[in-house]
Amino acid sequence: MENSTQESHPRPENVVTYDSPYPIYAMAISAVNRRRVAVGSFVEELKNHVDILSFSEDSSSLKPVPSLSFDHPYPPTKLLFHPSVSAPSNLLASSGDFLRLWEVKDSSIVAVSTLNNSKTSEYSAPLTSFDWNEVEPRRIGTSSIDTTCTIWDIEKGAVETQLIAHDKEVYDIAWGEAGVFASVSADGSVRIFDLRDKEHSTIIYESPMPDTPLLRLAWNKQDLRYMATILMDSNKIVILDIRSPTMPVAELERHSASVNAIAWAPQSCKHICSAGDDGQSLLWELPTVAGPNGIDPMTMYSAGAEINQLQWSAAQPDWIAIAFANKMQMLKV
Amino acid sequence: MATANQKGVTDNLRNQLALAVRSIQWSYAVFWSFSAKQSGSLEWGEGYYNGDIKTRKTVQAVELNSDPLGLQRSDQLRELFESLSLGETSPQPKRPTAALSPEDLTDTEWYFLVCMSFVFNVGQGLPGRSFAKNDTIWLRNAHLADTKLFSRSLLAKVSERLQTVVCFPHLGGVVELGTTELVAEDRNLIQHIKTSFLESSSDTVINPNHDLVYQVLDHANDPENNLDDVEVCSPDTSSDDFADNVLIEGSSLADGADGEASRLQNWQFKDDAISNGLNNSTSSSDCVSQTQGNPVTVVQQLDGKKTSDNCMPVNQECNQQKSPPGFNGSDVHYQSVLSSLLKSSHQLMLGPNRNGKQESSFISWKDRKLSSRLPQILSPQRLLKKVLFEVARMHENARIESAKQKDKCDDHSGQEADEVDRNHVLSERKRREKISERFSILVSLVPSGGKVDKVSILDHTIEYLRELERKVEDLESYKEATERESTTQSKAHDSIERTSDNYGHSKFGSITKLLGNKRKSCDTEKMASENKRGRSSSSTDSITISITDKDVLIEMRCSWRQCVLVESKGVKGASAGAIKQALQRIIKKC
Repeated sequence: MENSTQESHPRPENVVTYDSPYPIYAMAISAVNRRRVAVGSFVEELKNHVDILSFSEDSSSLKPVPSLSFDHPYPPTKLLFHPSVSAPSNLLASSGDFLRLWEVKDSSIVAVSTLNNSKTSEYSAPLTSFDWNEVEPRRIGTSSIDTTCTIWDIEKGAVETQLIAHDKEVYDIAWGEAGVFASVSADGSVRIFDLRDKEHSTIIYESPMPDTPLLRLAWNKQDLRYMATILMDSNKIVILDIRSPTMPVAELERHSASVNAIAWAPQSCKHICSAGDDGQSLLWELPTVAGPNGIDPMTMYSAGAEINQLQWSAAQPDWIAIAFANKMQMLKV
Repeated sequence: MATANQKGVTDNLRNQLALAVRSIQWSYAVFWSFSAKQSGSLEWGEGYYNGDIKTRKTVQAVELNSDPLGLQRSDQLRELFESLSLGETSPQPKRPTAALSPEDLTDTEWYFLVCMSFVFNVGQGLPGRSFAKNDTIWLRNAHLADTKLFSRSLLAKVSERLQTVVCFPHLGGVVELGTTELVAEDRNLIQHIKTSFLESSSDTVINPNHDLVYQVLDHANDPENNLDDVEVCSPDTSSDDFADNVLIEGSSLADGADGEASRLQNWQFKDDAISNGLNNSTSSSDCVSQTQGNPVTVVQQLDGKKTSDNCMPVNQECNQQKSPPGFNGSDVHYQSVLSSLLKSSHQLMLGPNRNGKQESSFISWKDRKLSSRLPQILSPQRLLKKVLFEVARMHENARIESAKQKDKCDDHSGQEADEVDRNHVLSERKRREKISERFSILVSLVPSGGKVDKVSILDHTIEYLRELERKVEDLESYKEATERESTTQSKAHDSIERTSDNYGHSKFGSITKLLGNKRKSCDTEKMASENKRGRSSSSTDSITISITDKDVLIEMRCSWRQCVLVESKGVKGASAGAIKQALQRIIKKC
């Protein structure tokens, strides 16, 4: 295993590795300060951490900034930085029991707010994921196991709307436009919502085996016609075209084990990266017409362990960040 | 005025180009003029496209004499280029509307379009060399030419049919003509074009008077004074305004191409330094008919449809080492222009051939080692599932636990709670939560009509309690009645069977009646067994009946065979026959 790992990275500086004391799941790259990377630990108890790392392309290093580490009660299910390069402050959001906002300053962390959407209780239903609206950065949408999605106005710190999105737990949410988002759920469907018409949603895909949960969703920000989703216990990446609902335009099936994460290229509409239990990260270029034998990825990277997380940020378009076991790696594209 | 002048000149120039290129039936003509933004470099001045046109997916040879169509097409191409360049800088990813879309273009048109983004330094690239030498350069097999000489050979190669390119200096710039056919060098042809089309008509526009020419051409984005010496000097004070004008006018082009062009130039400066030594001999007017090897490793087709790997990976590496930086430069330029135009591909994604100092950490899918696969995973998506399923559960558990702890705290610190207002609010909230919790328990006990508000819950509870009281009364009165009757019964066992039979016949009664029947039957059984029990002096609780909402539970113990315990569960609406059958089965066992 060691050998194959070494063979697959030709030069060490193309891969920058950070060894964390804890298993890593959540991960985000800052848009305001491109050198800032946030990683969230995954420990199955109350003591979790979010560490801020400093990434340097020149010296090929990922170093923790100890003064910027902070505790997070339960493992953050997702981390995201404010999507705008010109944001007044470097805000970091985390999801879990609540949606929390933190301001990452140069040498300190300030807890900005804890957003609870329950009016009657000091608890809110656990959040599986969230997405920051790039067009309208005051909006954050969260997905919850209570079958709802909540749209927050983070400037007001108030709920803009809460929708019962699915029949079962909602596992992921992704914004398309300023007022349009999509979500995937344990009920096996991908649905699109328009905030201008909250009464209706459009189902654009349902998993072939009824009730096979859909776990992750990625909306192609370069070409909003396309989105990608992954199924539970499946090695497939399903590519959807919202113009042709129910029929996927492509299914990418070259992972030899289940897929854990997907991310569209931030600067290209036809490239997508995926990572899975086979320890591989595959880079795909979507052809206009699929061949009879399915689609082969363009390139691949072997991590040597199950890759749990994948981020391809517009802030660092030349680098793909992956997380496996206790490691986080930045891979040169 | 200035704009009118400028337009007049450019229109005229284009008409000349159109006439010239159509007369020899070549594919395109481009006039490279001096850039207003970058001194000493040539940029797109005017162009006329005369090649194939793709309409509705079919390539049609353009009718050579249709002048308006050709001009219109050239305009459309320019418009498309500008809209695409604008599209890159505007925040919305949507393309501005243009008459043409990238899908509508033929390969040669693509070449023409991408050429608009190029900038050449004097002495560099085909137009630059032609200008510096003040001589015609005739290039055959342009698609095979070395990128050092003809930096767009990659482009030409992609269009695959562009074979002959000719550059000659003209009017302070360079005219470039190209065709998809292989044409042998013919100086007379150039001379013919110069005299019959360009110069003859240019006389009408461009006055030999130097000052006038300067002014007119200045607005035409073509400073005449650059003819003599390469450095750009602007003796005229009005040129500042002019520069501003051009900046605005040309911004659409510059925005798209500027970044790439400047990088390209870095490469091409190096290219010059290297290739000047190497290529002095080859840059004569004689054509470079062949180059060694094939420097193109990964070429994305212009329409972005597929990436074609021409060479084996080993060859790629060799070629990369051999190829001078100029190759990489043009390659990068080509890729970046395409990607900025189409936004379809990230320039660093087009394979291992890149300009960055760091190589990709990804290897080609074709080169993958199958042995490096991990052993089969026993619990797929382990962490992902934990995050989605179990973290939620952790939160729920934590909530319940902390709620318990708070309850305990409440008990201990009940008096302290009123000390602070906040505490009071907190305890009040907890009290309300407790009340809500109890209400929810109540809801689960009392059959409700679907309403869950507190008043309805209480109403239902009251109603239900009254109903239960009535039932208790009914049952007691039945009990008394049947006890009196039972004295006449001789054998309890028969009585059960008989009553069961009766109910079997009347089993299609209404639901309420059925429920009554069941209850009666139970009562009878109870009575019967109590009779027996009376004889066998067994305990009185050997039969129990419970009716909860829809469920009827009959439980009885047979006194003859003490080990048999029977449970018969019926639902309101289940047939009496089912109950009868169940009883008969039991009796048979006995």
